[in-house]
Amino acid sequence: MFELVFGQIISGLSVGMVFFLIAVGLSMVFGTLRVLNVAHASFYMLGAYLCYTITHFLGPSSGMFWIALILAPIGVAIFGGILELLVLRPIYKRELLYQLILTFGFILIIGDIVKLTWGVQFYQVNIPWPLLGTVSFLGTRLSYYHIFMIAMGPIILILIWGLLHKTRLGRVIRAVTYNRDMSSALGVNVSLVYTIVFMFASWLAGLGGTLMAPMASVFLGMDTTVTIECFIIIVIGGFGSTGGAFLGAIVFGLANSLGILVLPKQAIAFGFIAMAAVLVVRPWGLLGKPE
Amino acid sequence: MNIIGREKLVLCAIFLAIFITLPFFVGGGWTSLIIEMFIMAIAATAANLMTGYGGMVSFGVAGFYGAGAYITALLITKAGFPFGVALVAGPVGASIIALPIGWFCVRRTAIYFSMLSLAFAQLMYVIVYTWYSFAGGDDGIVGIPIPAFLNSALSYYYFTLAIMVICLIAMWIIVNSPFGKTIQALRENQERANFIGINIRRYQHAIFIISSFFLAVAGSLYCGFNQNVFADYMFWTKTFDIIIVYLLGGIYTFIGPTIGAIIYILANKIIIRYTEYWPIILGAMIVFITLFMPNGMAGFIWSRISTTKKQ
Repeated sequence: MFELVFGQIISGLSVGMVFFLIAVGLSMVFGTLRVLNVAHASFYMLGAYLCYTITHFLGPSSGMFWIALILAPIGVAIFGGILELLVLRPIYKRELLYQLILTFGFILIIGDIVKLTWGVQFYQVNIPWPLLGTVSFLGTRLSYYHIFMIAMGPIILILIWGLLHKTRLGRVIRAVTYNRDMSSALGVNVSLVYTIVFMFASWLAGLGGTLMAPMASVFLGMDTTVTIECFIIIVIGGFGSTGGAFLGAIVFGLANSLGILVLPKQAIAFGFIAMAAVLVVRPWGLLGKPE
Repeated sequence: MNIIGREKLVLCAIFLAIFITLPFFVGGGWTSLIIEMFIMAIAATAANLMTGYGGMVSFGVAGFYGAGAYITALLITKAGFPFGVALVAGPVGASIIALPIGWFCVRRTAIYFSMLSLAFAQLMYVIVYTWYSFAGGDDGIVGIPIPAFLNSALSYYYFTLAIMVICLIAMWIIVNSPFGKTIQALRENQERANFIGINIRRYQHAIFIISSFFLAVAGSLYCGFNQNVFADYMFWTKTFDIIIVYLLGGIYTFIGPTIGAIIYILANKIIIRYTEYWPIILGAMIVFITLFMPNGMAGFIWSRISTTKKQ
């Protein structure tokens, strides 16, 4: 019994960390740009596909994954940057509804671009070279790759925290998030900051997709449920809060993986129940600030 | 002030005449297509009661559309209710579900309202999706019997047309009543509305329930049309379909969502004949409309007409 629960905790945490990478970007974009990007999970899917293509292009060695881990997220970031410059920029002043529907249009367009480029088959990426295999811990066999994924979460969390609190760029981002008109009046290039934040968020989503590729198959439509799951996470954790996204991802990952042990079929409902409960009791989320 | 101008009345009469005679000129495939348009027109207009008139963007509209379809389907297949009774029970049942859900949702504003409505709709989706013994799970409920006199495309066409006209008139009366004007006042400025003693939450709750009722009318009609219901009717992508339709037509005109439904279903059926890449075309359409036609198709046409008039 203990092994079963422990194994589920590990798998819940590792998937939760990927969700954290996606959700934190979504949350940052919402906090700074004030746009709820429904298509954020499409960048995650794009990252997974790029990972597949890069690893296959470079050759049969599974160690090529590490090169993909560098390149694929950068590719997604560039794509995100172009999208922001061309299409998102004109609508910042528009109502929420239009921003939502525009980004919903991105989902459809990115989905079809992926379909045109990669077709409808399922793809597999091998678990990379030194991380193949398992280690025995407290009587449970843990995969190295799971441990690697779990480690990535806190690393990225520290990276984001450091970026926001210890660098000049981070101070500027926080200033724009706090008050864009004032920052603009003080000479901050707000448009540039928006593009940087959007690209960084795209990079994070691409990283999440790349990390997920060896864990699950890469296929068309792998993004549809992730969008909603990331909404759940940032609502639970609090809009615009980095730590909240981290906490929300852990809560969500564990609720899902442990829920499967209790009610296998209904497990997907737990996330929504948690989200509805948080919204009713503490609408600004666990670590968010009241409006 | 006249509740409806003479020009608009004539326009409506012309459209009605066209739709009454249309089945005699077009084939059976087109009749089904237009039935889908009618149903979508009811759903989009109902959803727009909240968005366009109330300024509340619900992400959960598909939940109530699906609830109507499922209640009707379940009452017919499990309880043996006659179709007519089940068709009325669907919207009534969905309104009863909307009562507690709406109560919670209207206590939150802006994006939080959207997310909470989404959470509840997805919860309903999960219930029907996972409850095999009761709601058929992901197999849905198939082969729902409907009365013989409605079992042809032509008779169902006129049946749907009649219900659509009744629903649109009812919604038109609602938005032009003092109640409807109050709802619009809330959209414009909640603080002022509050100052003059309007109970904001109660009005928003009421429009939430009314909107859910008409959404469920559309869902129940679709249940009778398709004779199958699936959990997908409640999924969040269905909500976005409905949102696209009312945005396409325009949210600040009453007739906008209906025009949106006609364009959307027509474009869909024509384009998927030639290519499987309908989503990318729809996506491009969405980007174009949001960037260049902020008032939707109806608003766009209307502004063209008024500028030609001025010249």
